[in-house]
Amino acid sequence: MNLNFEKPLNMAIGAIDKKLERFDPLWQSEHGTGGLRSRYYDKTGIAKYREWRGCRDTMLDYVTWLKNLGMMGLMVAKDPVHMMKAFWEYRWMGSFLGSFAFVDRLFEGFRGRELEVASLHSNTIVRTLCGLIGTIVGNDRRLGGGPLTDQLVGLDETIPTLFFAGFPTLYPEPMQTLPEFVICDVDQHIEPYYIDVAESYGLPADVCSRCSAETGVTIDDAFPIFGKLVISTNQPCNASESTSMFQRRRFHSIGMDDYPFAFAMQHNEKEGNAYSAQELRNCIAKIEEVYNVKFDWDAFFVAAKRVNEQSMIEMEKWEILATPYSPLCGIAETLYKLVEWAIANGRIDYFNDTDRKVIKIMRQAVKDKYEPFKGKTRHRAFLWGPSAVYYTDLPTWTQNCWGLNLVLNMDSTMGHNIIDTHDKEQALIDLAKFSEKGVMRHHAVGGWANVNAVWDWAKKMNCDMVVVNDNVACKGMNGVHAMLEEQARDLGLYFCFIPHDLEDSRTISRQDMRKSISSYMSVVLNEKPLDETLVDFDDSEAW
Amino acid sequence: MKVIFKLAGKLVGIVLVLFVATFTLYMTNGENKLIYYVVRPFLNKHYDAQSRDRRI
Repeated sequence: MNLNFEKPLNMAIGAIDKKLERFDPLWQSEHGTGGLRSRYYDKTGIAKYREWRGCRDTMLDYVTWLKNLGMMGLMVAKDPVHMMKAFWEYRWMGSFLGSFAFVDRLFEGFRGRELEVASLHSNTIVRTLCGLIGTIVGNDRRLGGGPLTDQLVGLDETIPTLFFAGFPTLYPEPMQTLPEFVICDVDQHIEPYYIDVAESYGLPADVCSRCSAETGVTIDDAFPIFGKLVISTNQPCNASESTSMFQRRRFHSIGMDDYPFAFAMQHNEKEGNAYSAQELRNCIAKIEEVYNVKFDWDAFFVAAKRVNEQSMIEMEKWEILATPYSPLCGIAETLYKLVEWAIANGRIDYFNDTDRKVIKIMRQAVKDKYEPFKGKTRHRAFLWGPSAVYYTDLPTWTQNCWGLNLVLNMDSTMGHNIIDTHDKEQALIDLAKFSEKGVMRHHAVGGWANVNAVWDWAKKMNCDMVVVNDNVACKGMNGVHAMLEEQARDLGLYFCFIPHDLEDSRTISRQDMRKSISSYMSVVLNEKPLDETLVDFDDSEAW
Repeated sequence: MKVIFKLAGKLVGIVLVLFVATFTLYMTNGENKLIYYVVRPFLNKHYDAQSRDRRI
């Protein structure tokens, strides 16, 4: 007997969806009875209830949430003593409790295949961060140390860790990722505390807030302590060099050595690559000396092959992103790529599994001519500039409110050259090139050609618009405003700045950022919002 | 056979109860409300009272 439950099941789901559609915020905004913002308590960013997305999508989101909850629960259950101590010791650990609300914010309004892709990415990101938190907290000397304390190597979060695959017994752990970079995504109020600490010791208020926050973490003695060596860097810019100097004083005072890994700034030049390759050799030699280990080329090549596969898939993703049929979009793309490149960087194999699943969904979407967000996208923009870390879900808002799809972010185009997996010398040169084109660096430093590439990318992605994240404290980019505006005019592209202060939500609030986009969309492009409830609201007390 | 049915029934019951509990928590956004209104204010009070080894 062949029982086919699909048809009656679909009919039942269809009937329930019809009955409950009035609770769906997208339906509400279409029918003037509410919208995506209606379910929130004023200012707090805390929803009264979760989004009803129809039976299938609500269940998909529930399962994603459940998996995330399970991974976080497991992380705590594995090492409850260290975890409790960490929550008690570090202010930034408390902010991680906002992670559930953070994930909700990211994928609000997502349905169907875009939600499917976002869910895969969400679970992969949470899994990686749980692993990172578990390893760092579980081996933090300040909290009593752990079995791997002496095998960890602290390194600046902007150093790509692929070369560490050649040290399979060591664990490279980014120093700033937990207390500063990632946590600012989750909680907009955490870094202002550390920025105030830095400023109370005389650091000027007009410097890059990322570097200021890192300095504040240093002064506040809020870095976890592990390993025998910290590798600092000049990436991505001169402000980073400055904060590295503050940080090394603290590390030295607690008996930890540091090694400055200086990448070539002119990373388009062949000589620059050769210089960075030599820096890699020197850094590898330093690690071998301090940890008494030998670089394992076979282990490195295994990880390099993994990264090569990721890069090949990534380039295929770009081809699909250039069409209207990509279910991978907005922050689901940006955040995942950032974690895959900047944290995993070839050392974690399940990213390849996720990539394979996602590219399969994307290929099918092209075949089916599937348009995400029910085809409501009106404009496609390439996003230039480091985004405000305190407003990670801005691309979700631009799509939901104005139908503006921020197709690709400049940081998603980081190093994607293929790394030789046979010839050691060529592999180092390839790795140098790959590493130089890192976060906030590929299109931001190293010459005017790297900035100018924004127009090529916009064309390649079939965008009619370029949006520039304008970090008001970035001394490097403030000088090119007028030139960018002029070029956009010459090329006939819509062009909009979003002012922000990277990690300090007090200078330019999320609400102010939204206002800058809304003004452009309504005044210049004469557009009407897709969801009235999203146009102007106060989320100043939200995480 | 009876024992197997009994065990299977219990298992289904447990899964059902777990589903209802977690789905209710999910839909009511319970964990976020608890963290935002209870846990974080408590932790923030503790963090504000900490004395830290501040120096350059």
